[in-house]
Amino acid sequence: MAAKSLVCLGSTGWRAFVSGSTSKCHNSAVLYKSLVSPAGVIHQKRCQSAAAAAPPPPPPPPPLSARDQNPGLAAPTIRKHDGKLRESLIEFGQFVAKCLPKYVQKVLVTGTDELEILIAPEGVIPMTVFLKGHHNCMFANLTDIGAMDVPTRQYRFEVIYNFLSIQYNSRIRVRTYTDEFTPLDSITPILPAANWYEREAWDMFGIYFKGHPDLRRILTDYGFEGHPFRKDFPLSGYVEVRYDDEVKRVVVEPLEMTQEYRKFDLPSPWEAFPNFRDATEVPLALANQPKDTVALNAPPTSGTAQTKEVPKPAAKDAAKEAAKK
Amino acid sequence: MAATLGGTGARVAGVAFRSTGLTRLEVSKIPHHTLTVLYGKTLRTLQKMPEESTYRQSAERIVKERLDLVTKYKDPVQLEQKINAGLLEEVILHAEYELMLARNFLEWKPWEPLISEPPPNQWQWPVRAVPSGSGKT
Repeated sequence: MAAKSLVCLGSTGWRAFVSGSTSKCHNSAVLYKSLVSPAGVIHQKRCQSAAAAAPPPPPPPPPLSARDQNPGLAAPTIRKHDGKLRESLIEFGQFVAKCLPKYVQKVLVTGTDELEILIAPEGVIPMTVFLKGHHNCMFANLTDIGAMDVPTRQYRFEVIYNFLSIQYNSRIRVRTYTDEFTPLDSITPILPAANWYEREAWDMFGIYFKGHPDLRRILTDYGFEGHPFRKDFPLSGYVEVRYDDEVKRVVVEPLEMTQEYRKFDLPSPWEAFPNFRDATEVPLALANQPKDTVALNAPPTSGTAQTKEVPKPAAKDAAKEAAKK
Repeated sequence: MAATLGGTGARVAGVAFRSTGLTRLEVSKIPHHTLTVLYGKTLRTLQKMPEESTYRQSAERIVKERLDLVTKYKDPVQLEQKINAGLLEEVILHAEYELMLARNFLEWKPWEPLISEPPPNQWQWPVRAVPSGSGKT
């Protein structure tokens, strides 16, 4: 039986199968019928006629899956876009950009429907005061301050502020940049929650916050040197700590590593999540036009990596092209 | 906006309002007076801004709406329901924030054109090679 089934897989499978044993063929057809009920009857006929007629019938079509029947149905593992939320985020982003055109450089809506305002570093305090104070925003909670080190950039540090508005149940992210020598304005006088977050950014990256009441290390040990989250800080650190039985205390010594432990074969940590990495840029030049003329309210189709280019004014496009060439 | 910070709940007619239930937020004895003064100050500050400023237009619209409600409804319970932004004490707090914001904006002038352009690759992600001629590698 096993050998016969194998033969059945070939192009002349039906005939070989039928000539071998008609009853077996019939059985298998019945079995198939029980699996795929509508096609089963026809299939049985096909099998019987195959003994007489020469052309082998095509294989039966596979049953339609739920996704084939409903093409709009996305895989459950892929996040669905909320079109209305996206629309309101775009509208709010444009509103913020119109209120503070002096500081807003870009407005993005990410692939996961989050609003990002990219500002010039001079605008940290005005933006925070605006987001906290204006009746339309009320982002009075600071949930986190993050930082990022990209050494190839002119301003290597990116500082990311996450705000929460309890009144409107919404979140917003403000991003700005700085380097090792340029202090950033501290927002601790406006939002006291920033106190420890800014200390953390100072400790880990060495970003200096001007106007912070008590800027000192928060996570690393007493006497620690360096800023561990910088890309040029070695993974193993500079010193090692151990208990010395002779002097009966913990000693700190320069790190000594044998050669076989010095090989760090690390794959690139970037591009780990290729889906949804690109954000949609909200056109600020179109911000003054009525809402329905802004042609990017349609959410991107789900399920693929997004590279959504938003139409921009022609002069800017030409400049971009020239820069690329 | 219906969301509020919670506390002991809104004012109820005929029941004395003793506590907001929110830390460091005390019950206001004269909410109408406080709100009128704050909104008046805010409007006068906003009038010093250029007319075409989006912030001025937005803030003026909201503050005028609120001021109308404050002058129209003399009963605190009714006023709180009509404003529908939480307790009157919270409304006062937001009015204070808006006033501080308006006064600061007069100094910062955020309606001016962009103060500094970002470097060409600053907002690029993932990090790619910089186009030639921009000076940075």
